[in-house]
Amino acid sequence: MSVKILVFSTQNISDPGVDLAGSSHLPYSPGVVVIPVPCSSGIDPRWIIYALEKGFDGVFIAADGTDCPYLEDCTTRTGQVVARAQEMAREKGLDPRRIRMAAICSVCAEAFVNHMRNFEKALQELEHGK
Amino acid sequence: MGNELSSRYDCVVIGGGIAGMETALLLGDMGFECLLVEKEASIGGKMILLSKVFPTLDCASCIATPKMAAVQNHPRVTLLTYATVESIAPREDGRLEVEITRRPTFVDPSRCTGCGQCEKVCTVARPDQFNQGLVARRAIYIPFPQAVPKKAVIERRGLSPCSAACPAGLKPHGYVALIRKGRLERALHSILREAPLPGVLGRVCYAPCETRCTRGKKGQSIPLRALKRFVAENLPREERFLPEKKIPKKVAVVGSGPSGLSCAYFLARKGLEVVIFERDEAPGGLLRYGIPTWRLPREILDQDLEDIKALGVKIVTGKEIRSLRSLREEGFEAVYLATGSLKPRTLGIPGEDLPGVYAALSFLRSYNTGKPPELSGKKVAVIGGGNVALDCARTALRCGAGEVTVIYRRDREHMPAHSFEVEEALAEGVKFLFRRAPLEFRGRERLEEILLAEVRLGEKDETGRARPVVDPSRTETFRADAVILAIGFQPEAIFRDEGFSYHPDGRLKVDPETLATNVEGVFAGGDCVTGPYMVANAVGAGKRAAYHIYRYLTGEEPRDIDLAPEVGRGDKAARVRLKAPVAYSSVFGENPVPEQAIEAAGRCLDCAVCSSCKECVETCPAGAIDLNMKPQKIRLKAGAVLIATGFRLFDPSSRPLTGYAHYPNVITAMQMERLLAPTRPYNAVLRPGDGKVPGNIGIVLCAGSRDQAAGNPWCSRICCMYSLKQAQLILGAIPIAEVTIYYIDLRAFGKGYEEFLQQAAGMGVHLVKGRVARIDELENGDLVVYYEDMEGRGGVRKARHELVILAVGALANPELRKCVREDLQLDEAGFFREIEPVREPCVTSVPGLFVAGAASGPKDIPDCVLHAGAAAAQIAAYLRSLGSEGA
Repeated sequence: MSVKILVFSTQNISDPGVDLAGSSHLPYSPGVVVIPVPCSSGIDPRWIIYALEKGFDGVFIAADGTDCPYLEDCTTRTGQVVARAQEMAREKGLDPRRIRMAAICSVCAEAFVNHMRNFEKALQELEHGK
Repeated sequence: MGNELSSRYDCVVIGGGIAGMETALLLGDMGFECLLVEKEASIGGKMILLSKVFPTLDCASCIATPKMAAVQNHPRVTLLTYATVESIAPREDGRLEVEITRRPTFVDPSRCTGCGQCEKVCTVARPDQFNQGLVARRAIYIPFPQAVPKKAVIERRGLSPCSAACPAGLKPHGYVALIRKGRLERALHSILREAPLPGVLGRVCYAPCETRCTRGKKGQSIPLRALKRFVAENLPREERFLPEKKIPKKVAVVGSGPSGLSCAYFLARKGLEVVIFERDEAPGGLLRYGIPTWRLPREILDQDLEDIKALGVKIVTGKEIRSLRSLREEGFEAVYLATGSLKPRTLGIPGEDLPGVYAALSFLRSYNTGKPPELSGKKVAVIGGGNVALDCARTALRCGAGEVTVIYRRDREHMPAHSFEVEEALAEGVKFLFRRAPLEFRGRERLEEILLAEVRLGEKDETGRARPVVDPSRTETFRADAVILAIGFQPEAIFRDEGFSYHPDGRLKVDPETLATNVEGVFAGGDCVTGPYMVANAVGAGKRAAYHIYRYLTGEEPRDIDLAPEVGRGDKAARVRLKAPVAYSSVFGENPVPEQAIEAAGRCLDCAVCSSCKECVETCPAGAIDLNMKPQKIRLKAGAVLIATGFRLFDPSSRPLTGYAHYPNVITAMQMERLLAPTRPYNAVLRPGDGKVPGNIGIVLCAGSRDQAAGNPWCSRICCMYSLKQAQLILGAIPIAEVTIYYIDLRAFGKGYEEFLQQAAGMGVHLVKGRVARIDELENGDLVVYYEDMEGRGGVRKARHELVILAVGALANPELRKCVREDLQLDEAGFFREIEPVREPCVTSVPGLFVAGAASGPKDIPDCVLHAGAAAAQIAAYLRSLGSEGA
């Protein structure tokens, strides 16, 4: 059975990249669900924990990297969100490796698909390692 | 980003390419309010379509997308896409007045989420301009995944001629497009949405749509009526337009002919309680009693009636309404009079009351009710030249008449009947006698002969036809056992005491827009208003009446009752020009199979692009589609205007020797950009002709630049470098490929450019100094390039390639030239002139008007960005001089 991954993408940058993966017919797991948000630095770590508690195997933040049209330090801020979420995961007894982040640009369709494949594999290994 | 437009801006930037975006962002950062106007549905210009930028080989999309997003999100930049600037005029106060047309996108951007579900159901395919025609997009489309704004737009050029011609408001283009896609059930659904009685119309409509079909202008038109008949008669009528809610208001419809049925159908769909009153024993009016059964089988009429009854319409037969008061007492709040036009005109000549003289409608009625007069072997005359006369003649043949002659007072070309009806009658053996008028019907017990007078054609009357002049001195007798008078009908005098206004010939007077009579709450339409006319027109009148009755009763506009094209909403019929007739013979006969219907529908030319099938309207989860959107004129004041309209690429199809117009494997550099871009259409580098991966590729420089014969003797500055970039990217995508660049001289003039050239040469790109004269195609799709060898042994040489790329030049974009009334100077190549490019870059000859980027001459991307920065500084200084301070 395929793992369930929740992806937070950003409306302007990473979501077009994810969209392009679909319109280019690049295959990735059907267990991937994408929620676009205006800016990745605005994600609340509690949402990530909530997703894991509700049954997602992993949460992936497709951030803008340096492409963010709003904030120059978006990557640092998003990094802090992820670090905080991983900390909270640890406190709740969840494996912090279930939370990942990478910069996905507006045409990074293949990069996104590779991330999904790798993350899926890593999550499957986590399952078997239990 | 503000969604609401203001009436004044510090700067209007025209063109959303890299230069326009850059200047708008810079001015916005400085505190100036900017409006960015873009003609396409997304900003990004040409840059967003490119693969990489030279010489750094950075991803073009990755640089452009954040800029596009920044423009959309900037608090002081307002974005106006799908809009064209119409004029820029200087004002007395030193500012400029800008007139802009916002073209209708037919999609409400505040509702559209960019989900793309509309694209999946759209029935029309068009070449995708953002992929340079390499693949198709739909008539409704989101430009590309990175589009800003990411909203769908519909390419729609008015209405297709067929749809504009339908008096019933059907959209033949829509159902044809659905049939073409094999979605036959949806085609029927689309027909039933626009009008009831598809079976009836499929049999008896005079099909003005086919007369107007562009295919028919040169060859055979699309068999629109036959296609409608095919879906109406071969598919189950499962889907009904049941009302969402009931509205407790009662409407009476008097008369169950096509007009009354249509009105009842639409009102019942809107949830009103509708009762049709019919004085005959069965509903249908003229459809049942007037149209012969051989033309319209009654089971088809009955099936259509079922659709209407299923909506809850009550049909009371055998009840003649004599007074409106009784209806009002029964609680009906509105009445639709559709009583038809059934009273036969008479000739007023001796012998009209002889047995054997029949009125057309009573003759047809007796045939349709299974009690036809005994005509077998008899000689029958029909007086009249309309469609009813021909129906009578052909029906008489079916009653066994030995000989049937239609006697008409003018000539064949003057007959009001449709010419195809005359053809069919002739084919069945009906005879015609022209320029004769009856003077007397003679006989002892019953009709024996007709005294006919010759008719001379006099001057033209008010209808434009020659006035017939009977010459009583030249007569003849015509032996006949029966004569049928089909010389027209007029409305019966109904409700004479109710205070209605009438025309002298007995037709009811109504408001032509709303069909309201002068009596409150009473509407009228169909033949009782128009006189005898076509079924489709009666259906259209019923639809129009339903629209206005609903509005009258509820105060709301029933937007789902589509009255176009008749209401004059500005929808013009689209025109497509066919260069040459296409030989085609239809296989679409009496009993077609679905494949034949699909094939017949496949010839549609999509004249208006959007087919108005309304599949997107029904699919859009946000209810964002609005096909009634109209162009919007915007007039505003601007302190300064920046022209950043970029350049236009040379179209090599005007140069036949390049082979571009004929050989699929000759492509332009922009097409190659698309093949190489991360957003590429095939997800691989393939040649378009056969989808093969090309192993040997030729790049021809100076295609349409530095070429006097092409009308562009100037260098385009960018082609050498982008070709070197493409060569490198091709080698990255297809490592075994051989790439040859044919050049006059390689202009690698900027920082890092020479190194870029050396890098390409080092990768193994063949650089051949030679001017290409001609390109030929071989049988397998490969190409032979003929070139002048300038560096080697000289002479004309040949080389074979699997794909040839034409590095097309950059030309001036003429779109904006006509918009400026003031004298705006252009340079010799047609680009906007900077009057002092060294001292005052970006300043044009018109005060307040600036230019940036490739609109002033071909530039590469770094130069465009620099130029845009200069423009921002110039504009800021100019605005300050006007008194605008910015933040």
